[in-house]
Amino acid sequence: MPGLVLPYSVMADAAPICSYGQATCHVPSLADLFDRVIQQSSRMHGISTDLHSEFDHYLPSKNFIGKQRCHTYAILTPDDKEKAQRLGREQLTEVILRLLMAWGDPLSQLHWSMSQDQNQDFNQYRSNKALEISDIVRELKDGVIKVAERMKRLGLNGNFVSYISPENVDPFSAISFYKRGELNSVDHQDLLYCFRRDSHKVKTYLRILKCSTFPTLDC
Amino acid sequence: MTEIVKCALLLALFSVPCTRGTRYSPPDKPKLTSCRSPEKETFTCWWQPGHDGGLPTTYALYYLKDNSDTIYECPDYHTAGENSCFFNKNDTSVWVNYNITVVATNALGSNFSDPEDVDVAYIVQPHTPENVTVNVMEDKGWPFLRVSWESPHKADIRSGWITLIYELRVKLEGEEEWEEHHAGQQKMFNIFSIRSGSTYLVQVRCKPDHGFWSEWSSTTYVKVPEYFFRERSLWILVMIFSSFTLIILLWIVHMNSHSLKHCLLPPVPGPKIKGFDQQIFKNGRSDEILSALMVPNFPPTKSSNYEDLLVEYLEVYVSEEQELILEESKDSCLKSDSSTCDSDSGRGSCDSHTLLTDKCGEAKRERRASGEDSGMTIESQKGWEEEALSYTQEDVATPDVSSRRVKTWPSVFSTVPQYTTSPLDQKTSLELSKQHCLSDTLFPPGSSTKEVLGPNYWEFDLSNKQSHLPQPQTHGSQQLQAHSDVNISYTGNKQVPALLQLPGFKSTEYVEVQKVNQEDMVILQPVESDNCGRDEECPHVLQGEDYSKVKGVGSDNLLLLQSGVKARMGDEMEANGVSESCYTSSSFATTQKHIDSMHSATIPGQEEPIRATTGYVDTTTMFTLPMY
Repeated sequence: MPGLVLPYSVMADAAPICSYGQATCHVPSLADLFDRVIQQSSRMHGISTDLHSEFDHYLPSKNFIGKQRCHTYAILTPDDKEKAQRLGREQLTEVILRLLMAWGDPLSQLHWSMSQDQNQDFNQYRSNKALEISDIVRELKDGVIKVAERMKRLGLNGNFVSYISPENVDPFSAISFYKRGELNSVDHQDLLYCFRRDSHKVKTYLRILKCSTFPTLDC
Repeated sequence: MTEIVKCALLLALFSVPCTRGTRYSPPDKPKLTSCRSPEKETFTCWWQPGHDGGLPTTYALYYLKDNSDTIYECPDYHTAGENSCFFNKNDTSVWVNYNITVVATNALGSNFSDPEDVDVAYIVQPHTPENVTVNVMEDKGWPFLRVSWESPHKADIRSGWITLIYELRVKLEGEEEWEEHHAGQQKMFNIFSIRSGSTYLVQVRCKPDHGFWSEWSSTTYVKVPEYFFRERSLWILVMIFSSFTLIILLWIVHMNSHSLKHCLLPPVPGPKIKGFDQQIFKNGRSDEILSALMVPNFPPTKSSNYEDLLVEYLEVYVSEEQELILEESKDSCLKSDSSTCDSDSGRGSCDSHTLLTDKCGEAKRERRASGEDSGMTIESQKGWEEEALSYTQEDVATPDVSSRRVKTWPSVFSTVPQYTTSPLDQKTSLELSKQHCLSDTLFPPGSSTKEVLGPNYWEFDLSNKQSHLPQPQTHGSQQLQAHSDVNISYTGNKQVPALLQLPGFKSTEYVEVQKVNQEDMVILQPVESDNCGRDEECPHVLQGEDYSKVKGVGSDNLLLLQSGVKARMGDEMEANGVSESCYTSSSFATTQKHIDSMHSATIPGQEEPIRATTGYVDTTTMFTLPMY
């Protein structure tokens, strides 16, 4: 299949966890998987909000009039509840994955850039947070993939295809959106602004996905 | 957008005529206060207008959405009230940056507010939770509150578009502090720390996971009824326990009721006078009382049969053998010290020991003081002296004196050979004793009666009254009071003193012992004798009566009496010696008890007088030999 490039991790995770049939092995249900990813996405958004708020205290906000602010602008995301519901599970899942994949490398760059910046005293805290975010994003991406595959196995995600457009895989293209060369603190703020938004999207989309898959009163 | 605004301004400036006089100015800059979205689908922005400059001012809101340069104006100024702009669903885009500006415009100009960036995703403030219900429920007897509510109806939870977390607070009615609880995403919460019988206030609010808290819901009141379930079991336990304790206490009290009664209500000793009718007191008549108090036929008069009075006489006859006993018994007054008083004896027997000892010395003194009052014959004197000597040889102050006296009774009567010359004090004692003897043998004809005690009695005071020593002897007659402890007071016959001075009397006088009163006074009554000899001091002898002869004095002050001695002692007794007639009355008193035991000698006045069955025992003396 063209364009079917699955990262090694996805391929490795394709095998079931309890392939050997251990008695103590607990196979998580889809609902459990959903809860797990939702929990992670919530945490991710929380950290991004914290980081962004720190920048806001010290740096004036910019007016980005007429400027595309974020590198993920190309990813069409529903900005409405109805639109999101109309999108369907598969597409929604895809959007989530796209977003997550789009932010993997920029966040690493951010972390690296923050650790390099020695002018600021509180940079260590931010650097650690950036590292944490990048880890979460990576794990969340893996989790969402698992969820999607499970859904597919269950027949819920029939048309799901782990398809990643090539341009987003390029690690350098994303970061170059914010600045060519090294990022400075202003760039950090922009990057975090964008990421905060996207993490919120991911969180919301995941919830919609779950509630559409497991409709309960308490969704 | 700015160009349009500038054009508008210019137009406004030109169009509005310049006015002078009134202070009109362009409006002040409005301020966008806040924008809020209740459900992340619509949102509202409010602004605060500045001074309008005195002219009617209009406000407009314009916004830009990121990624575009298109200026949009607020679609709805009215739905949300004044100075507001409401964005409906169609106009609302989430995750889109709205750049909003408010413009205030009046005739003179317009003013722009500072633009604000708004992202709907971050301005969500839901409405308050709805349908807050609180129920009092029970968990094993303990009440608790179950609070349940619903999300605001506009917030779409079901699709997952919004995730709300809740918070509630509780407080007691009347208090100020709220107790807050975080409920998470659940719509129900249990509060356990409540008191029964109180009223609680409950409020709930909610917040999207990243957003603003809603307002607190309207207060819900709940009254917790009184719960006795747990307390009931406790009360039952307490009651059972207390009832058990009560039963045990009652049982204990019942078991010890008798002793308790004794303890709490000690029996009041009532007067117990035999033969005495307490009713007389209640009647309240004095004569009856007095007559009741008086013992009938007491003291017995001469006419009365003395035998009725149960008087015993003690005759002490000392043989030679008994003299030996006397010798032996010369240890001292100490010996009888060991003898204890009988438990049932009256004071007389107990005290007489000491009395005797006292009288040892006192008699001496008396003798001294008396001087020549006594006119005893030499014989008697001698006898007395010897007797006194024999007494004084020992330690006076011991009760042994009494015993010795007792023992020496026989010797006194036998001959009096034992006696040695006595020192002066002994003389005095002898004299005293002699005097006592005399008084003993005096039988007052029995005339005047003392008040209560009747006529013809000798009041023999066994108490210690040493102070009286010198008095009676010096006074002579009427006083006749025993000295030291021996007070012989003759209250009846005044002829006695004369008799006292009789040097000697030959006859054996008998005196009945009426009783021993409380002051250890042996009340003696001269016994009437048929054979009244010379004077009236004839010894009172019952004819035909048996006499008990004192065989001897045993240990422990026991007089060994021998019954069956007939005949009147009378002259014979006199022949034996005047001394014989003198008895130590105290010893008599001492031994009365024993006499009683032996021959049922009685002292009138005792509760149970024992009649002499075998006769009576003559009294020998009534005096004591005071020895120191």
